[in-house]
Amino acid sequence: MRTTIRLVAGSLSLMTGFAAGASAGPLDVPGATKALACSACHGPGGQSPSSTIPIIAGLAPWYFKKAVEDYATGRRPSPEMEPYAKYVREAGVDDVAAYFAAQSRQPTAVAVDAAAAARGRVASQQCVVCHGESGRGDPARSIPDLSGQAPGYLRNQMLLFKADRRSPGDQAVKTVKELMKSVPDDTIADLAAYYSSLR
Amino acid sequence: MTRLTRREFLRTSGRSAGLGLLAAAGVAGCAPALKGDFAPKTGRRVVVIGGGWGGATAAKYVRLGDPSIEVVLLEPNRRFVSCPFSNLVLSGVRSIDSLTFGYGGLRGHGVRILHASASAVEPDARRVRVGEGYLQYDRLIVSPGVEFQWEQVDGLAAARDRVLHAWKAGPQTVDLARQLEAMPDGGVFVLTVPPVAYRCPPGPYERACQVAFYLKTKKPRSKLLVLDANANVVSKAGLFRAAWKDYPNLEYRASNKVVKVDPSTREVTTELGDRVKYDVVNLIPPQRAGTIAVQADLVGADKRWCEVNHLTYESAKHANVHVVGDSTIGLPVPKSGNIANAMGKICAVAVVHLLNGKEPPPMAPGNTCYSWVNDREAIAVVNAYKVEGGKVVQIEQKLTPGQSAEWAQNAVGWATGIWQDILG
Repeated sequence: MRTTIRLVAGSLSLMTGFAAGASAGPLDVPGATKALACSACHGPGGQSPSSTIPIIAGLAPWYFKKAVEDYATGRRPSPEMEPYAKYVREAGVDDVAAYFAAQSRQPTAVAVDAAAAARGRVASQQCVVCHGESGRGDPARSIPDLSGQAPGYLRNQMLLFKADRRSPGDQAVKTVKELMKSVPDDTIADLAAYYSSLR
Repeated sequence: MTRLTRREFLRTSGRSAGLGLLAAAGVAGCAPALKGDFAPKTGRRVVVIGGGWGGATAAKYVRLGDPSIEVVLLEPNRRFVSCPFSNLVLSGVRSIDSLTFGYGGLRGHGVRILHASASAVEPDARRVRVGEGYLQYDRLIVSPGVEFQWEQVDGLAAARDRVLHAWKAGPQTVDLARQLEAMPDGGVFVLTVPPVAYRCPPGPYERACQVAFYLKTKKPRSKLLVLDANANVVSKAGLFRAAWKDYPNLEYRASNKVVKVDPSTREVTTELGDRVKYDVVNLIPPQRAGTIAVQADLVGADKRWCEVNHLTYESAKHANVHVVGDSTIGLPVPKSGNIANAMGKICAVAVVHLLNGKEPPPMAPGNTCYSWVNDREAIAVVNAYKVEGGKVVQIEQKLTPGQSAEWAQNAVGWATGIWQDILG
């Protein structure tokens, strides 16, 4: 239950919150002020420091926009994200998506059990088919990048897929849901550890 | 001590003599150094009063928004203790240490921290009085949190050391946990809820869950009695009432405002004249804006809370003075930590724009608020807002469909993220 919180004292990672252009001030970057509401949970610049909240720094705009639309319409049910997705739509999803896409993404700082990650690697043969050896996915086929993502988030999403609680009826995630049905929960945790450990 | 002092001095000392003196004063906490204009302003300066959720966020984000602006933060406490999650200290689920952080991250952003209290604000002269001296500012951000209206409960002012509020996380949180632990099994714990508006609307009911959980598992013959000044549970009512079904040891009485406490007889008296005996009492007093906001004439006609511009958080009463956090009123938002953090960022952006002669962009806050109902499950309410016609209006409010370990995991994720956003 006790969670170790590491507050990064250095400013390097935090300055990603305002990736300044050469001439414009940090706040003049398009989307910068609109994205500030997101940093409470997703961390400065979208570099989430926690296990369960996803890193959205460097997120591909197509993925960001689909997620916002699915959350806002309730297709991807989330009491937390539905209101915020509506906020993002109100503020301008293109600006916010472009802002996060432009942030340099660091792998999660949450450490995972090396043995679990090793087991996850062995169990990942099916995942590799779409997400690739590197786990980086393929934007051309709408396959998201899993590498270095927060482990608790990856695990929870796989569990949601398995129980068909994420985006029911969405053809884009039909295959992954079918696949997850046969994966034991322990193996899902191992897969999450493995993909979050990829650099 | 000498080494710490020197290190801290070096870390915070500026190039000008004034800032060096400021740092020294902050380290030593010695009033005699604070005379006259003890840290003369060399460029544009923002002074922030209060290093809590609103003020610390604002201080950091002014620096991130424009590093050429000097930021001085006045905060008497050397450590930041998180109110959110502090109810878990009462049930023994979390330690107070796990909620306690330093201000080193803010120093890393170039925020100059003076561990002292502001004693007065002089808006016309644009200066803040500290000790026997003063600090000049171009813009002031006031984030003093809440102060208790001790006088509203007969006998409370004289019994402050024994009748605990534990409504500002810190020593009182730990003391109340000790009182709960020391209570004999079979005892009665009385928790009183103040009338709205107060800091953290669901907080008292989350606390009821944590105390009831503790008693159920550790002192099964004991009872929790909640005396609420309000006509119903103020926030997440359905979810809390559902959670309380697991706590037959919890008795909730609405419309039972406590007006008197007598520690000698261990008794509280309600407005209706009912006398209630307790073994341990946790009396959360009625609240208003922090004292400096009242002294600085920032509160409105109600003498309790501060009206602000919805886009800039500039005071409705004084120019160049902004107010953020629990002290504000008039926006359709709760007095929550998440809202204070959001206000801190929006105010910082506005101040940076105004000091650079630009129009501040319209920005709306957001609110994510988790409550723990036992040691592993939580519930949540989330609010989204937009700016319309210069005012903040709600887009939507959403509640979790029930309580679950999933929301508790997300609560930990939220806390980790927002502590980083404030202090990292």
